[in-house]
Amino acid sequence: MLQISDLFLALVIIIVASAVLRGRWARYLTFLFSFAILLFLSLNNLTLTNFSYGTLSILSLTFQLNFVSSILLVLISIVGIYIPLRFKSTPGFFVLLQFLLFSLIGIFTSRDFIVFYIFWEMVLIPSFFVIGIWGGKNKNYAAMKFFIYTHVGSVFMLLAIFTMYFAEGASNFSMSTLISGVGSISLPYQAFVISGFLFAFLIKLPTIPLHSWMPDAYVEAPTEGTVFISSLLSKMGAFGLLVIFSPIFMSSSLAGSTIVPIILIALGIFTLIYSALVALYQKDIKRMMSYTSIGHMSFISIAVGGFLYLNGSNPLASQLLYYGAVFQLISHGIIIALIFSLVDTLEKSTGTRQVTSLGGIARKLPGLSFLILAAFLASVAIPGFSGFVGEISILLGSYAVLKYYLILVLAGVVLTASYHVFTLQRTIFGPYNEFLGNIRARREELLVAILPLSLIFLLGIYPALVFHIFDIHSIQFLGGIHP
Amino acid sequence: MDLSIILTFLIFGLPLIGFPFVIGIGYIKKNYSMYLGTVLIFLSFLITVFLFFTYTVKGTVIQYSFNWLPSLPVVIPVGVYADNLSMIMALMVSFVGFLIILFSVGYMKEDPNRHVFFGEMVLFTSSMLGLVLASSLLMLFIFWELVGLCSYLLIGFWHYKPNAASAAKKAFIVTRVGDVFFIAGIGAAILYSSGAALSITGLGAIHLEWQRTIVALLLFGGAIGKSAQFPLHVWIPDAMEGPTTVSALIHAATMVTAGVYLMARIYSLDLSILTPTALSVMLYIGIVTIILSGLIGLVVNDIKRILAYSTIGQIGYMVAALGLGLGVTSIGLSIYQLEAHAFFKALLFLAAGSILHAVMNVRDINKMGGLWKKMPVTVTAMLVGALALSGFPGFAGFFSKDSIITASFGVSIFAWSLLAIGGFLTTLYAFRMFFKVATGKPRSYAAEHAHESGRIMLIPIVVLAAFSAIFGIFQQGFYDFVENKPVSSAFGIAPLTITDIVPVIIMLAGLGIAYLAWGRSSTIPSKVANGARDFYLLVKNKFFLDVFFTNVIAERGVIGLSAVSDRFERKAIGGLVDASGELFQNSGKVLRKIQTGLARQYALIILIGLILSLLLLRILMLSGVIH
Repeated sequence: MLQISDLFLALVIIIVASAVLRGRWARYLTFLFSFAILLFLSLNNLTLTNFSYGTLSILSLTFQLNFVSSILLVLISIVGIYIPLRFKSTPGFFVLLQFLLFSLIGIFTSRDFIVFYIFWEMVLIPSFFVIGIWGGKNKNYAAMKFFIYTHVGSVFMLLAIFTMYFAEGASNFSMSTLISGVGSISLPYQAFVISGFLFAFLIKLPTIPLHSWMPDAYVEAPTEGTVFISSLLSKMGAFGLLVIFSPIFMSSSLAGSTIVPIILIALGIFTLIYSALVALYQKDIKRMMSYTSIGHMSFISIAVGGFLYLNGSNPLASQLLYYGAVFQLISHGIIIALIFSLVDTLEKSTGTRQVTSLGGIARKLPGLSFLILAAFLASVAIPGFSGFVGEISILLGSYAVLKYYLILVLAGVVLTASYHVFTLQRTIFGPYNEFLGNIRARREELLVAILPLSLIFLLGIYPALVFHIFDIHSIQFLGGIHP
Repeated sequence: MDLSIILTFLIFGLPLIGFPFVIGIGYIKKNYSMYLGTVLIFLSFLITVFLFFTYTVKGTVIQYSFNWLPSLPVVIPVGVYADNLSMIMALMVSFVGFLIILFSVGYMKEDPNRHVFFGEMVLFTSSMLGLVLASSLLMLFIFWELVGLCSYLLIGFWHYKPNAASAAKKAFIVTRVGDVFFIAGIGAAILYSSGAALSITGLGAIHLEWQRTIVALLLFGGAIGKSAQFPLHVWIPDAMEGPTTVSALIHAATMVTAGVYLMARIYSLDLSILTPTALSVMLYIGIVTIILSGLIGLVVNDIKRILAYSTIGQIGYMVAALGLGLGVTSIGLSIYQLEAHAFFKALLFLAAGSILHAVMNVRDINKMGGLWKKMPVTVTAMLVGALALSGFPGFAGFFSKDSIITASFGVSIFAWSLLAIGGFLTTLYAFRMFFKVATGKPRSYAAEHAHESGRIMLIPIVVLAAFSAIFGIFQQGFYDFVENKPVSSAFGIAPLTITDIVPVIIMLAGLGIAYLAWGRSSTIPSKVANGARDFYLLVKNKFFLDVFFTNVIAERGVIGLSAVSDRFERKAIGGLVDASGELFQNSGKVLRKIQTGLARQYALIILIGLILSLLLLRILMLSGVIH
């Protein structure tokens, strides 16, 4: 068993080394960075593991490797291998990328609210610079909007953390003590704590109407930036909802009430339908796909709202929702990374990413068209692709919560499928648009895409792989899911 | 694990594993894909035959499930369930699939992408076999989606044709509408059976009648989409843009009947799952579909679209047969119609494909004519198909369709009369098509120079024609087999009753009228069209359903809503965020003006502030807030 402090130390050394060596080394060291994470995971015995390093004044230096975080760490290392493989960016980018991945590991493992908050804010720095330095035309606007918008959410989270700390009269910011004590404080404070966390996580997820930082950030960021923002940063909100918000809610005195879960579900459904409708109207494929990402993540809020609503009354449906949501995290992370890099290849080979200027690409670029088709089918959640597993589990489980209202979610599913096949029809199928001239795609970019695609197939055909990463029976929290 | 279980998995597993190789080997030599694909499906067929005669006939139900997600506390079974119903379906699917793939070897031999075509056909056949052998609703749904995916890819196989790309998209979206009802149905079944219905045999654990009604109707929603019943039938006619062999396999013989199979499957496992409400919905959806498609089939000129509307109508009979609610008898009637239809409709499509091959893909029957002399084998086979379709005594359709009409007599006279009228319409459009294609003088250059197709295409046609002609002799044995009764003999027909005469008379009348109208030069059709102008236009425009879906729902509704959402997104949400940003910037600008740098002003502000604070303190003390 490896200590997480060793991992942090190794990663810091790698980051410093990349920053000092620069050149090509920054890119190669990113692989090493990702392998270190994988090594750490494989050397741990796949159960709920706590790493405790005492307390530092009011901070408790505790870290935890749990089910959700180990899956997200796998996703981080996959993205950490994929990005340097696919993109030959500047050394500075890779240093920032490593810094970002490091902060994400901190978010997903720390069990102290202040440490968690520090890592949470640290993520903003590399993302801000990546958008602001290498971004497109409106990069300054997008970077600033991204930074301020998500920061506003974090402020409310910080206030919620302090409210818990002072109202409970705790001695340190340890998550486990603060969360378990939340039921003892007065009701208005509890409501403030819950809404503060919810606000911060829903912005990061993002949920409509708190999403408007996102399309700009995705479109303006360079593609390698879009890949990690879409694939990893949206997981911060999902992780927060699953691992931090849900336990707080369950241990508060609001636990049995249905109003908060209903708000979450309603927001999720609205997000799904609305994002599909807006996506249907977009001409820019990159912007369209950023709404796809919103739509996929809305399943998380539906699932979380669902099992909080059930409150343990239907273990089967709760499990379908919970595991579906966790599966959706890793599946969406890989699919959206693949989609954005394929859009990049498409733009580089044809010179445009406007749907109206494309058409009949399949005749000239069969390889790229096949990959786009596969990525889109994965995004529509066709069986055999990983997207199916998460989506179908959440849909089946949410019938127990939604009953007839499930029709709204299903309408969103149909709309999502519609704009995907509309786009396919207008870009890769149909007669070739002769204005594009003689186009060609870079072969190595297509070859690299096979890595995420094979992962998508692997997870789609044998989804149990994800659940083998972790010993499920050691999961304790979330009332009713594991009686 | 028992040998029979492994073999059952291999029925669909072999082509499923094999299909990437079918495509891959095409990069060495394209014709290898054709041979490998054909061999794979033939092997599936052989395994099915072996299992059928060694196990199923002896009454063994091959059943095996494993957990799809081991290590999770929730158990989601997937596996195989091969009883009489699913094995007879598997036998039909692999047999017809093999014949059609064999036909494709001749039909597609010049296509540059034939390796992809054969790969997709093999994937389709394996998914369809997986669908009929599935042991849980979830697994059934997985293969249900995969056959839909193959249908999407194969309709759009000639993707550079705008019509094909558009038809593929339409098929995908319309069937997707049905599919989501299927998802809801599975969710409902799981909830109401407390998880027992994760396995297909656990449907009986749904105890309350209203819960069964909901589950049945939601699953039937899926069936409506897949099996192209009213009102989601609009995708099939467009789907005819794909290669004809695709239409024969997917949109006639197998995939479109998956919905019927699904309903028969759940009905056979639990006779109470289809409650009276669900049954009557099915019956009348089936009847409406039969009448509408029969009428539209009379005015369409595209040979493949006539067959498409005919398919919709014949599936309507299968749905109506289940909707009669006669228990296992209904299942027998429905599945027998399904298999007979698979033979004669695959035959008609392949004959049409052979004709289109000869007349350079001009699909308008007004441009054909006189082909009987040019292509004797194909057109004779087509005559057999048309006779079988219209239920001429002795042919397959007589035993399958007329039995349904007769059986409905005991349930409802109203349904019986509508089903009989449907039979009349079927004969009318079948022979309208046949007379226009086969008799008279050639009405185009292509038709004049048509010639008979090659042998590899004729063999499947002849085999299917033979089955369409003689399939009736298995009637009683088939019923007994599907209904799980002891089968005394494989041969023999069900006893006829006096009511059986009515459909025959109606059918002969239809044949006669068709001859008068289209078998010779006649002005009857145009007189009728002019006489009932409004009705004719209504039918010619397909009852405006396509227009309604495309123009009203898709363009006005969804696209309109999408435009509104997009404006809202940019103007309202985007504007609000930008406005709040500007608010802080502007307030900064205002506050900046106070920073004048003049000491006198600062002193004044300090003085005013001091006085105000003291006043506030005094007020608070007086009001008792501060002591």
